[in-house]
Amino acid sequence: MNWEGQKLAEQLMQYLFLASALISFFTGYFFTSFRLMLLIYASGALLTTLITVPDWPFYNRRPLQWLDPKAAEASSSRIIKAAKVQAPKKASKSVKK
Amino acid sequence: MHSYALRVNTAVTLAIMVLAVLCSFVSLSDHFHASSPHVHLEVLSIDAFQRQKAGNDEVWLTLNISADFSSVFSWNTKQLFIFVAAEYVTPKNVVNQVSLWDAILVSKNHAKFSIKTRNKYSFVDQGNNLRGSDFNLTMYWHVMPLTGAMYTEKQVFSGFRLPTE
Repeated sequence: MNWEGQKLAEQLMQYLFLASALISFFTGYFFTSFRLMLLIYASGALLTTLITVPDWPFYNRRPLQWLDPKAAEASSSRIIKAAKVQAPKKASKSVKK
Repeated sequence: MHSYALRVNTAVTLAIMVLAVLCSFVSLSDHFHASSPHVHLEVLSIDAFQRQKAGNDEVWLTLNISADFSSVFSWNTKQLFIFVAAEYVTPKNVVNQVSLWDAILVSKNHAKFSIKTRNKYSFVDQGNNLRGSDFNLTMYWHVMPLTGAMYTEKQVFSGFRLPTE
């Protein structure tokens, strides 16, 4: 789950709990049943947990754009060679995007 | 919110907190519940009047208790504890209360009743001040809610008098 997904999950969690509390309170009051209120709230809480806890695909719609890897300055000559070979390719790709 | 465990933790914490607020609102809604119970108490007969070996007066009487407590029940009421107390004044003590009868009403359907009964608990004075004295019968009802604080209400019936012998 990325940053946007985490924000969405948290807000969704808060609004869903609030909504289930409001719905359960007024339904319970209307039908004068405390038991009904608790049942509705419990099912609302279960639903909220199912929606916000698993890592659903819609939490990963906008993945993070990581920077392209840069080769570290290493003492080993072999790594420097590899970086020299790969660097131009990566650079050209990112330009196209 | 980056891991399952953290999201479960947040969900459980928030759920319990919202439930607590919900329950306090339920308790608050009881303030808008108007109740008008009908209670009637009368003494049908004084069956026995005796002095115990210790020197205390003891009275046995038959009560007629009719009441309708169904309007006291709100959506947040678990049960009612009702009891009838005899209250009188003696030279030694200003407040004397003796519980004569009690009952637990668990639902609205059983809240309307009318019974004739001998006092369930003995009516004994600390001394011998009962002869010829005036007393009140008071119906108390403790309302026990599902959430929130318990409260008590009462209705006093006065003008009863015990015989002199």
